Amino acid sequence: MNTTYVPADYLPILIQMGLALGFIVTTMLVTHAIGPKRHSVKKDDPFECGIPVQGDARTPISIKYFLIAILFVLFDVEVIFLYPWAVNFKGLGMTGFIEMVLFMGLLLAGFFYIIRKGVLKWE
Amino acid sequence: MFPIVLLSVFAVVLLFLGFLKSRSVLLPATLLFLVAALVANFLDWNKTYLYFNSMLRTDNLSMVFTAIVLLSSFLVVALSGSFEDDEAAQPAEYYAIILFSLVGAIMMIGYENLVMLFVGVEILSVAMYILTGSDKRNLRSNEAALKYFLMGAFATGIMLFGMALLYGASGSFTLAGIASYASHAQQGLSLIFYVGLLMLLVGLLFKVSAAPFHFWTPDVYDGAPTIFTAYMSTVVKTAGFAALLHLLAASFTYVYSFWGIILAVVTAITLIAGNVTAVYQNSFKRMMAYSSISHAGYLLIGLAALSAQSRQAIVFYSLAYSIATISAFGVLMLVTRQRGMQTLSSNPLSNESFDAFNGLAKQNPLLGLAMATSMLSLAGIPLTAGFWGKFYMFSTAVERGQIWLLVVAVLMSAVGIYYYFRVIIAMYFRDGATEPIRISPVFRYVLVAAIILTIGLGVAPGLLQGLF
Amino acid sequence: MQIGLLCALIPLLPLLGFVINGVGFRRVPTGLVGGIATLAVLASFLIVVSLFMSFPAEGGPQIVPLFDWISVGDLHIPFSFQIDQLSLLMLLVVTGVGTLIHLYSIGYMHHDEGFGKFMAFLNLFIFFMLLLVMGANYVIMFIGWEGVGLCSYLLIGFWNKNVSYNNAARKAFVMNRIGDLGFLLGIFTIINTFGTVEYVDVFKQATSLPMGDTTVLVIALLLFVGAMGKSAQVPLYTWLPDAMAGPTPVSALIHAATMVTAGIYMVVRSNVLYTLAPQALEVVGIIAIITALLAASIGLLQNDIKKVLAYSTVSQLGYMFLGLSATAYTAGMFHVITHAFFKALLFLGAGSVIHAMSNEQDIRKMGGLRKALPVTFITFAIGTWAISGLPPFAGFFSKDEILAHVFEHSKVLWALGVLGSGLTSFYMFRLLFLTFFGEFRGTAEQKHHLHESPATMTIPLIILAILSAVGGALNLPGGGWLSHFLEPIFEGSRQVNPEAFAESTIEHSTEYVLMAVSAGVALLALIAAYVMYISRKAVPASDEADRSMPEQVIYNKYYVDELYEAAIVRPIRSMGDTFYSFGEFAVDGLVNGVAWLVKQSSAQLRRLQSGSIGFYVFAMVLSIVLIFALRFFIRF
Repeated sequence: MNTTYVPADYLPILIQMGLALGFIVTTMLVTHAIGPKRHSVKKDDPFECGIPVQGDARTPISIKYFLIAILFVLFDVEVIFLYPWAVNFKGLGMTGFIEMVLFMGLLLAGFFYIIRKGVLKWE
Repeated sequence: MFPIVLLSVFAVVLLFLGFLKSRSVLLPATLLFLVAALVANFLDWNKTYLYFNSMLRTDNLSMVFTAIVLLSSFLVVALSGSFEDDEAAQPAEYYAIILFSLVGAIMMIGYENLVMLFVGVEILSVAMYILTGSDKRNLRSNEAALKYFLMGAFATGIMLFGMALLYGASGSFTLAGIASYASHAQQGLSLIFYVGLLMLLVGLLFKVSAAPFHFWTPDVYDGAPTIFTAYMSTVVKTAGFAALLHLLAASFTYVYSFWGIILAVVTAITLIAGNVTAVYQNSFKRMMAYSSISHAGYLLIGLAALSAQSRQAIVFYSLAYSIATISAFGVLMLVTRQRGMQTLSSNPLSNESFDAFNGLAKQNPLLGLAMATSMLSLAGIPLTAGFWGKFYMFSTAVERGQIWLLVVAVLMSAVGIYYYFRVIIAMYFRDGATEPIRISPVFRYVLVAAIILTIGLGVAPGLLQGLF
Repeated sequence: MQIGLLCALIPLLPLLGFVINGVGFRRVPTGLVGGIATLAVLASFLIVVSLFMSFPAEGGPQIVPLFDWISVGDLHIPFSFQIDQLSLLMLLVVTGVGTLIHLYSIGYMHHDEGFGKFMAFLNLFIFFMLLLVMGANYVIMFIGWEGVGLCSYLLIGFWNKNVSYNNAARKAFVMNRIGDLGFLLGIFTIINTFGTVEYVDVFKQATSLPMGDTTVLVIALLLFVGAMGKSAQVPLYTWLPDAMAGPTPVSALIHAATMVTAGIYMVVRSNVLYTLAPQALEVVGIIAIITALLAASIGLLQNDIKKVLAYSTVSQLGYMFLGLSATAYTAGMFHVITHAFFKALLFLGAGSVIHAMSNEQDIRKMGGLRKALPVTFITFAIGTWAISGLPPFAGFFSKDEILAHVFEHSKVLWALGVLGSGLTSFYMFRLLFLTFFGEFRGTAEQKHHLHESPATMTIPLIILAILSAVGGALNLPGGGWLSHFLEPIFEGSRQVNPEAFAESTIEHSTEYVLMAVSAGVALLALIAAYVMYISRKAVPASDEADRSMPEQVIYNKYYVDELYEAAIVRPIRSMGDTFYSFGEFAVDGLVNGVAWLVKQSSAQLRRLQSGSIGFYVFAMVLSIVLIFALRFFIRF
């Protein structure tokens, strides 16, 4: 049995894929082209029944939500580092301790900065 | 390595200094920090070290690039004038972001591992997105930031994909590992390797705004506040070229035949696109944006040739280019500010046009001289640093035998003279009813220093040689 | 202190003075300007003296590298200074005479509104002159060379409100450019031949070349073209008399004592090359004697006190080159030094006279000034005595040494030289007698105004007069100090051509006879001048007076300026006009066409910058695809 294939051997598969894709595309285009179209106000409404649409769905949301959300993610993710440290506390020894203190120090500095900047004040 | 540590700490300190009532301490503090970093940078002089498990390295070349980057940011910060006339500005944050971005730039200069390169590029780029949009009330600034961010993210994706493919092919993220894989080029390398290399190159070429990946440049440079445009067009470019040079020289010399021709074609396209398009511009700032694209082209000559002289050529060129660009943007800032006050026109476009410079040399000889010197240097006229920069670049191309590229470059520098001299003509031969512009002492010192450096390097280019 | 630092300080101090006075022009108080400028040069002089004292007698050249300057491929041009006997001598003269003239300028120029600018330019000139002299290679010499040319241009046209002064400045500049072109070509040839421009390396390589090597001949001739321009030799001499438009201290410093001797310095510096090319020396000799006689004869009939001195300078420079052409390099240098003393003295004396006469320069309007200006008169008389080559003053020894060597070389040249010396003596004493003796011929107002100059002006005069008197002691006949001191400089020349440096074959008795002849001729000329201008009280006729034919020709300087105008300037101008009208159509059309093309393509390319991110990203992706296609699917 032939076990080595050259790219040319895959040609039938490629043709098969092309045909399948071509069929779908052609069908969609053709139906669009030959189908009758009648527009009216009622017909173009999103809903034919229920409450009339009011305004745009894209209303601005206060930037504070994003800030709080992002800050939460930030600090939450950083705290994850505490778990592996706690598990390996003995093994990492003094170096690990100092590194962690530096890390937490920086984190706290950031936290202090945020509070001083008034990011968490809601008004 | 000291600058990275120092700058990180200093940046945090600056953030807290911002809580002080008085803004006046920020500018001197930042300048002091930069000088400290510059001094610390040279502590390892003439030694070669690997840091952080061979993630980063310092040698003389990387130290010289770091020094150029620090010097450029020193000049830019000194010209920023602590944003005293802008109430809404937040100088502490701006300076801190500049320092953080410098950390990224230094990582890009001294990386030994592709991951470090990626981290450096991202630190620098994200900082730039913020600075571009820092003029929050200005629509153009916002638009520029968004464009920069979207396109930058796109390019980063491509670059990261390239790194992943390289890792897949060679099994290593370190430059040395990739180089040892590439050294078997004779036996044939995996296709993945070549694809990865191309994608990584495309990502980095985007960052240095080489054509055809330059489309973001004019819009972003034009929209960003002028002071940050000066920063972007010098520091980011220098760091980008240092990264490219290190990457290609350390890992991919074995496969030069593969990428050399591509880079040469990109170089030619960049030169043509930058120089020719700059001719038509009416805004000086936009002209400078295209000029920065064209200078990316000149710098690329050294990379496309990658000969023994390339290192020296790229170092010299980036220094000459940075100094000239910063002082040109400095003068532009003064002129724009004064025009804005004089005409009370809210349309910044007219304040940045070439006409804004009419008669400048008669009212402010120093500003005229500074601008003329930088324009001559950018155009590559002898007795300025820019001339020798171009000269070294062209000689690398000659060494490689890329004569066609040389011809394109020479023709394009002739085109360059046209638009650089428009400013000089406007300043010296046109009349403008301008009041003399008041220049603060710091500005004066920076401009004089830039003039002296440009002409000094132009008269004695040997001063910088033999340093590394 | 380190020698390197000291050497760097020598030119830096005047540069510093220039920066202070130049940048602070109109801000530095007038009283301080002169002090700063003079002290800067004086300090340089003191450093030079200390270097000179500590310099080992037989020492070789000391190279002081400052920094790598240009390196392109295999060619490395360091910025370095060379300290040896020759450069030390020149340094002493430049800074020494320079100090005195700076001091003099304080008195002479302080009323001028551009005083600060003037002193700044003088300092800048000293800086460039020092570069010229100290440089250890031809390129640095060239920088100094161009720099002194620039300063000369600026200072000739110092009173730039006067159009004819500006024209004189431009003339000097253009004539010097012609010479500079030769110098530059010479440097290129040197680079091409030797692959270096360092004196030490060039001369070391040159000594191994055969005598009469063609390349060396070309180099020597090209360099001499440069020297012709700077040192005002035929045919490039006409700028120097016109250069007298500048303030008198400038004439003394630049156009008599220092800059114009740069050509001689260069030839002496390159003595190995010239010794190797005897034909070049022949050319030098012919040009030198023509210059000496031509200028001396024009000097006979000039009536402007400074013009007489200017032609005398041209003629004396001819003597120096005459000495060099007979491989008497030491004698040439000797005359450079003594000439610096007495010519500076004469110019400063003339300045003092002009100062007293309220800017009158015509000697026909002077006369009898010796009573009003006693110090000026005595010093001027000493200078005249010295330049005329009468014993026992400096000029006698230096000129005599040159003539003695020329005698050995060629009897004809010697005879012509002696003739020139007689002419010199005549016109100098004519100048002296007309100015200081007889009756005063000026206006009553001028007479009333006559006064001796202030001390800042007379002190330099006195010092220079003493130097002119005793300067001859530097190199007394029969192996003086100077020839011994300079010996190491000519080691290379001695190696390539021992005959030229062999002991003199002339008997001592012959030498004495030669001396007596030249002194006698000078004395005869003196007597002739005395008879004409004192006994007969002759006064030169006014410009309009009728003159005999030869007199008319000489009075109008042989119509050389008119000749140049007709033979060179006009044809070039008409050629330029032709080219211009041609250029209107063809060249402009071509240039504008290219510019139009670039602009059009720029307008098209600009449209790509649509501002839409979608398009940008599309363009990027398309480019990436193209790059991949280019690399992987197209083989080339």
